[in-house]
This record gives sequence, C-alpha cells and structure tokens, in this order.
Amino acid sequence: MAQHGGPQQRIFSPLRTALHRFAFILLILSAFGLMLLGKADTVLIERIRAASADLVSPVMNVISRPAASINELTDKIYNLAHLYEENERLRRENQQLLAWQQAARNLSHENARLRDLASYTSPPALHLVTSRVIADMGGAYAHSVMISAGSRDGVAKGQAVISDEGLIGRVAEAGYQASRVLLITDINSRVPVVVENSRDRAFLSGDNTNRPLLTFLTADAAVAPGDRILTSGHGGAFPPGIPIGVVSSVSENAVRVAPMFRRHQLEYLRVADYGLQGILSEDRIRQSQPSNDANITEVSPDLPDGVGIVPAGPTGNDGTSPSTNAAGEAQ
Amino acid sequence: MKPGVWHRLDIIARGLFPAFSVFALLLINLLPLSVPLLSTASPALALMAVFYWSVNRPDLLTAVTAFLLGLLQDLLMGLPLGVSSLVLVLVQTGSASQGRFFHNKPFSVMWWGFALVAIPALLVQWLLSSALIGALLPFKATMISYVLTAALFPIVAWVLARAQNTLLRYV
Repeated sequence: MAQHGGPQQRIFSPLRTALHRFAFILLILSAFGLMLLGKADTVLIERIRAASADLVSPVMNVISRPAASINELTDKIYNLAHLYEENERLRRENQQLLAWQQAARNLSHENARLRDLASYTSPPALHLVTSRVIADMGGAYAHSVMISAGSRDGVAKGQAVISDEGLIGRVAEAGYQASRVLLITDINSRVPVVVENSRDRAFLSGDNTNRPLLTFLTADAAVAPGDRILTSGHGGAFPPGIPIGVVSSVSENAVRVAPMFRRHQLEYLRVADYGLQGILSEDRIRQSQPSNDANITEVSPDLPDGVGIVPAGPTGNDGTSPSTNAAGEAQ
Repeated sequence: MKPGVWHRLDIIARGLFPAFSVFALLLINLLPLSVPLLSTASPALALMAVFYWSVNRPDLLTAVTAFLLGLLQDLLMGLPLGVSSLVLVLVQTGSASQGRFFHNKPFSVMWWGFALVAIPALLVQWLLSSALIGALLPFKATMISYVLTAALFPIVAWVLARAQNTLLRYV
C-alpha cells in the first residue's frame, strides 16, 4: 500500500519508501502497544485522560452554551404548545403531593423521635457540587459525559453523580477543572442495588444500551416490571437508598431496568461526596494489590463484609442464572 | 528575495488546518445535544475528515497525525486506548494510496468510496473495542452510527472542500 503513496513525488528514493513503510508498521505496532497499556489500566492512563479532559474543557464550556440555549428554545416552544395540559397535570400532581407532604411530615416527626429513643448516629453530612454537562462522549462505544467540575471543586474519583431524578453514575476520572462521569448504562458500570419492595440484592450492570441489566439476582427473587431499584450501599461506593430506575422488563434470562434519567436531557448534575471511600478508592486498591500469595484468589482481605466484588469478566448477559454466585455475593 | 517570517508562519498555519479541522470535528462530536438518537449512536465525524484529507491532501494529514488524532479521540471519549489510532492510521494509509482514483471524478464516487471505507473502519473499531472491554458491544448502535456517518459525509465534505478552496489553494 505504501509504495503507491510515494510516486506522487517525482524525486523518490527506495530509502524513502522503506522509511514510510517502517513508519506505518511502527504506528500500527504502537497502536497495539497502547491497547496493552490501556488494558493494564495504570494510574498513568487515568491521569492522562483527566489531563486531556482539562485541556478541552474551556473550549467545550464555551461551545456547549449555544447548544444548550438552542435546546432551551425548542423546550420553550414545546412548553408553550402544551401549556394547558401541563397546567392540568401539575394541578393534579400538586394535590397528590400535598397529601404526601402531610404523610412525610408525620413520618419525619415520628422518625426524629424514634432516632432520639434509639440514639441513632446520623450519616455524615452530604457535600454537593453542582456542575454543567459540557460534553457527551461516545455513543455506540461508551456512555459517559464530561462535567465542568474537577478536583478544584472537591470532585474526586468514585463519587456518586446524581440528577433530580436519581443516580446517573460515578466519577471515572477527575481532572483539575473537568471530570468524566461514567453513566450507569456504560458497559463498565456495576452498581450494587436493592429492589425496593422485596429487598432483593443484585447488581445493576450496564451493557451500553439504554436499559441496564439486573445481574446476580437470586433465583427466588420476586421482581416484576414497575419495581423501583435503589442503591444498596454495599461496597461503600454509594450511600443506600438513591433511586436508580424502574424495572422495565422481566424475561427468562434478563431483567432490564429503565433508568430515571434520559441521557440526551442531562444538563446540570450534582456530584455528591458522602465521605465514603468505597472500593474504588485508590488507597484500598493499592493496598489490596501486592498479595502474591497463591491461596488468595480474588477477595482482598481488607474489604468489609457484604462488599460486592465486581466481576472482571464478561458477565453482562448472565441474568438470573448464577444463583450460587449471587448467594455468595449477598452474604 | 527571502519570504518573510509572517509569510512562512502563514504557510505553516494553513498547513496545520487539516489536522485542526479533525480536532474541531472531534469537539463537535462531543457536544451534548438534546437529540435522543444521537445519545445512543453518534456519527464518526473525525473519520470523515481523515478520509477527506487523506484523499485530497495526504501531504497535510500524514499517518502520524492520524495516529495522534485517534489517540486524542480515545482519551476524550473514554474509549479503549489505541483503537481509534489504529483505525485512523489504516484509513489514512489506505485512502492516501487510492487518492488519485478519486481525482477528477464526481463527488458521488467519493461518497461511495467513503461509504465503503467506513464499513471495515467501524467494524474494526467495534470488534477491537468489544475485545478490549471483554464483552460484545451492542451491534445495533454501531449500525446506526454507520448510517449516520455515511449519510452526513456530504455535509462535512462540503464544508471541508470550501475551506480547502479558500485556505489551501496555494499551500
């Protein structure tokens, strides 16, 4: 292929072709080298990714604004057209919410008294950073977004990212002024969850579609379409009880969940620092690595009980089948 | 008379335009748009530009540049490292060697050429990404991405051709 590229130039020595071909082969080899390097998943790659996000974030910050204002305009036109119906709907919703407010007040009062009685220690205060979505990456190959907040604002790797509706994902890399958020629909995302009504534990595993899968469900788990899915808090990465989605379909080999958010409408996100280190913390990963003991297979000894270990292999399509595994995960 | 510093700088800046245009298209690819379809599959804008420049000005967009732009794409989009670099280098080398075939032919020939080149390019991207992630990525999204890429090529090519005529005529 390379020897055809050359003859366009009149002066053309065999040395030059050889050099061209050598450069081509060298580039191909370095591409494969990069793949190996990326597979090793070193901290270095993560730093470089964070740095590249920092690099383009000022530009994206500016050019994503006109895009957002165009979206706003179309939204406004749409809202204007549906003003009447929207008003009716809101009126009805308001009535329902007022009833709920009454119930919530009673419950919160009761809860406060019960906490007093039981000397309950409150979880650590929540630190929220609100930031704008400045880029939406990938599409077919990756589900992640870039936000305009980084370590400068207190954002760190592993923190939960939530929207008004519920959990969106977690911070994959935090740069100085921008970070990449791995959405729960990404193929690399595993979140320990619990079914709201039946309290069955499972993993929410993304597979790059808009409907992530519930994996490691026990065989006798009672899951039906419409059930709400919440974070379970296992593994210490996310606090328990953040809504994630609603079970959308239950079939023989897959339970799929419809997330609360719609990816194309993500605009402002909140990064929540719950003060949890989680299994994603770099210190823990570093501590758990140098175990050269052949007897230790995969569970590092310093993880607390009940921690779900994320399976490394392609377990995305397992569905409900590995009940033995799930029992091991659950206890 | 020796050409002035500004003149030489001007030539260099113009010569960098192809690489810059690919970079700009990469950023456009990253824009968060409220279109439901684009959030599941996006057109490969960088691929279009790399193909266009390798056919028309292979001297200004070399394989090394394609490699670096692919690396940038992988870093920014959170894709497995090296895959885009490989794809763009292959597309650059392949298209540059066939460049003369497209000269003095109607645009539709180039469009067909791109539609053909994009198939193996996206297939390799899908296969290698799946292999590196360790699970089969949904093929439907890749198909949608291909259709979008092939359908939007004339728009991108038109813009690049306009830029080529105005900026690169004497470079």
